[in-house]
Amino acid sequence: MTRARGTDGSLLASLPWTLAALIIALVPHVPFLPVWISGAFLGCAAWRYIIEKRRRTLPSSWLRAALALFCFLGVLFTYSSISGVGPGSALLAIMAALKLLETRKRRDQFVLLFLSIFLVMSSLLREQYLWSLPYMVVSMLVIMSAWLRMSAGESQSPRQSFATAGRLLMYAAPLAIVMWVFFPRIATPFWTVPIDTSQATSGISDTMSPGDISSLSMSNEVAFRVSFDDAIPEPRERYWRGLVLIRFNGRTWTGRDPSISPGALEQIEVTGEPIDYEVTLEPTRQQWVFALDVPTQWSLSEIFMGPDQQLARNVPFEQRVAYRITSFTNYKISAELSNLHRNWYSSLPEGSNPRTAELARQMRSDAGSDSAYVESVLQKLNREEYFYTLDPPPLGSNPVDRFMFDTKRGFCEHYASAFAVMMRSVGIPARIVLGYQGGEINPLGGHLIVRQSDAHAWTEVWLDGLGWYRVDPTAAVAPERIDIGASDAAFEAFGRAWGLTAPSRLLHRAKLALDAIDAKWNELVLGYGPDAQNSFMKWLGMNNPTWRKMMLTLIALVGGLVMLISVVLMLRYRPPSKDSAALLYQQFVRKTGLEPHTGETALVFAARIGKTGQFPEQTVDEITEAYLDARYGRNNAAAFERLRTAVRAMA
Amino acid sequence: MSSIPWPFPELRDQLSSVKARAGNRVQSWARKRQGSDPSTTRLRPSRVYILPTGVGIIFGFMAFAMLLGSMNYNNNLSFVLTFLLAGIGFVSMHQCQRNLVGLELTFAGADPVFAGQAIRFRIAVTNQSKSARYGIRLHATDTSSDTHDLAPGESKVFVLPVPTSKRGQIGLERFGVRTLFPFELFRSWAWLHMDISGLVYPAPATDAPQPPPTMVAHGHRQHDARGEEDFAGLRKYHEGDSPRHVAWKAYARSGQLLSKQFAGADTSSQWFDFGAIASNDVEKRLSILTRWIVDADRTLEDYGLRVPGNEFAPAHGEVHRRKCLETLALFKEGQSS
Repeated sequence: MTRARGTDGSLLASLPWTLAALIIALVPHVPFLPVWISGAFLGCAAWRYIIEKRRRTLPSSWLRAALALFCFLGVLFTYSSISGVGPGSALLAIMAALKLLETRKRRDQFVLLFLSIFLVMSSLLREQYLWSLPYMVVSMLVIMSAWLRMSAGESQSPRQSFATAGRLLMYAAPLAIVMWVFFPRIATPFWTVPIDTSQATSGISDTMSPGDISSLSMSNEVAFRVSFDDAIPEPRERYWRGLVLIRFNGRTWTGRDPSISPGALEQIEVTGEPIDYEVTLEPTRQQWVFALDVPTQWSLSEIFMGPDQQLARNVPFEQRVAYRITSFTNYKISAELSNLHRNWYSSLPEGSNPRTAELARQMRSDAGSDSAYVESVLQKLNREEYFYTLDPPPLGSNPVDRFMFDTKRGFCEHYASAFAVMMRSVGIPARIVLGYQGGEINPLGGHLIVRQSDAHAWTEVWLDGLGWYRVDPTAAVAPERIDIGASDAAFEAFGRAWGLTAPSRLLHRAKLALDAIDAKWNELVLGYGPDAQNSFMKWLGMNNPTWRKMMLTLIALVGGLVMLISVVLMLRYRPPSKDSAALLYQQFVRKTGLEPHTGETALVFAARIGKTGQFPEQTVDEITEAYLDARYGRNNAAAFERLRTAVRAMA
Repeated sequence: MSSIPWPFPELRDQLSSVKARAGNRVQSWARKRQGSDPSTTRLRPSRVYILPTGVGIIFGFMAFAMLLGSMNYNNNLSFVLTFLLAGIGFVSMHQCQRNLVGLELTFAGADPVFAGQAIRFRIAVTNQSKSARYGIRLHATDTSSDTHDLAPGESKVFVLPVPTSKRGQIGLERFGVRTLFPFELFRSWAWLHMDISGLVYPAPATDAPQPPPTMVAHGHRQHDARGEEDFAGLRKYHEGDSPRHVAWKAYARSGQLLSKQFAGADTSSQWFDFGAIASNDVEKRLSILTRWIVDADRTLEDYGLRVPGNEFAPAHGEVHRRKCLETLALFKEGQSS
């Protein structure tokens, strides 16, 4: 296969469309692909087009083989793997680019169009935004038009191809909707899915080292949305509990040491009204389940409660998931704590942060009791020169000492860590809780949006008689952080800084509206899983929906729709009726401005028009003749066409 | 790739013979089911057949693979894409069939050809509907027409070239009309069994002997009352033409020798006689006669044809030529009518 034949320009009618289809399918991948792949694709596309246009020869098979090897190694080198959505779509793009260089027949173009469909598919696996659906429909329109350009050849004008493809897609749409609604969804995948892990997520991290990262990102990305059955709780009650950090090495807080057995689960006593709500969690690639402090019941069976009231799922959240939770904001946890656990929750590494330890002992002896001591530490943080900032200076070694005595600036992590160390220094059990605090109410959707910028860290201390008790030292420093929420506070400041109160408010409203649509989109379309399908089927009146019933309904509905489409097509292809000829003739009569007398035949009417001299005789005769042929002659489509063009052409 | 040889040539032969036999069975079934068609036939839906093409089968496999993928990833948007593709499949199936249904096919004749040439059967296809029809094509065994589109109300003549090898009446027992529109996912077609035939003249011999010498034919003369003959026109001078009949005035003008022709006059003419050819092979003799007729026609000479049971007096012209060649084409040995 060393021949490299030239082109004869025969693909010129269809090739640009095939290229357009490929490019439109590739665009959503571009932000994720290495630049060289997009560049290689564009280069190959331009190269191939010029070859066709100037009737050059295609590159030799040696060159193509070398390019293929080079690109394959490139993908392997970039991704160090060839499975998963990322490398998969990179390989698809490379294959399409290289296939272009050997495309000389219609069959090769079919391969290219199949590749473009796969590219669309893999872009949907990567992200499913609100605009993904319309974009996919547009992509399919272009791909099917290109397909038509190729199979119908040059006899069809591009506009006709486009219109035909659009019409066929319109017929296909109701079929697709019915299949989508009734096709039974299954809960568990067939095989484990290789999900692209190269993409970083902005979830909360598993450890906390205040002072290492000197600034906190203010990502506006949604972490989760919550819809409450009843009233939305007050901001100061909206503590979304995530994971609990217990071990401290003087610098970094981490989770539970697996070598220490967790002991018996702590007992939770709750009082007051339960709060029922549903959380729609964006994929975090972690297993933490966020719930209002403190959760008592949850819907998903894979979720379990570990020690320290930590909710988690046994597999990480790779996809958006909705779960229902019941929480109580009035609770008491573990009134009793064994000595072992007491020591464990108050252990600190020897000799770390000595100045803080010294201060703690001093203050504890001044306070007299544990609860008075907690109060005095909070007051110290509140009264002295401590500032809440998202951009604190780095801390170096003994970070708690540096923070407490030198920099005095930080965000929630710094305060939580310092407070916990202060507690542990005098033997009070303390632990750090990571999660989210607050959230913004979307008045349009009636739900609460919790963003990544609402991420928060607070502490829990164990006091005699009270059990584990939540203390948020950040609230002592920046109470508005808790009452308004991080994003609101930042937004107000932003608007003031630019002097844009009204427009920025408008912008904010627009953003909220978009968020409400997005939430509905997630709930109704993306979240249409086995449960949602089940309840929708029940709403439709199908009692006890099984996959068998749904499949039968699907087949019946698809069959009915296909029959309907068949009828529509039959009507489209039927010969023009005599009535439609009469309708066209009426248009003509209106255009003449004359009124035909009762019983006046078309020929007599034509003669009368001729007498007025307003219209060219030829036109009138042509129309009259065509009308008579179409109406009274053999059912003649050609006469009908003549009539139509003549009436249209008439001024 | 098509250039890679198939490793089991015998198997391929067997496969293709099985395919051919199955094809014959299907076609004879269709013949029996449909009966023969009038010379203008409108395609009813019940006789338009449809099957997926290779591209269609691949398309189906792709949609199925995408369904499995969507189920595995539980991805609702890729479900939408998959079902949209499935919908396109259903729709294109019906569109493909409808693209043929209602077409009107009329046999529009075929000009006679000499054996060895391809006879071109003309079939007019009329679109009597409000919508255009795309990519229509006629086909018969080993041959097919060009692909045409038909605008609403349009009628086009499709030409089916069929190779011929021997003289006589050639029929087209069956031909098909097919389309791949819109996406080449399906091929729909219809078989038609019209009474279609054309005439094939014998092939003109390439090594024909010289035609018999020109003779003057007598005994057919009929003088009118004035004893004069009606001038009928001029033709090229041949050896043996009476000098009385040479158009000297025309010669003076153009320098070309022409003979006057008179109706009912003595004509110098040649007789092509089947019996006079020294050959035992009937086909050979017919072929030689054909050659002579073709040559004589080209030089505008008069010629007569004598075959057992038939005789054509010397004459020339298109009608005469056709009559003679038709006789030769349909000649049967031992015929005596």
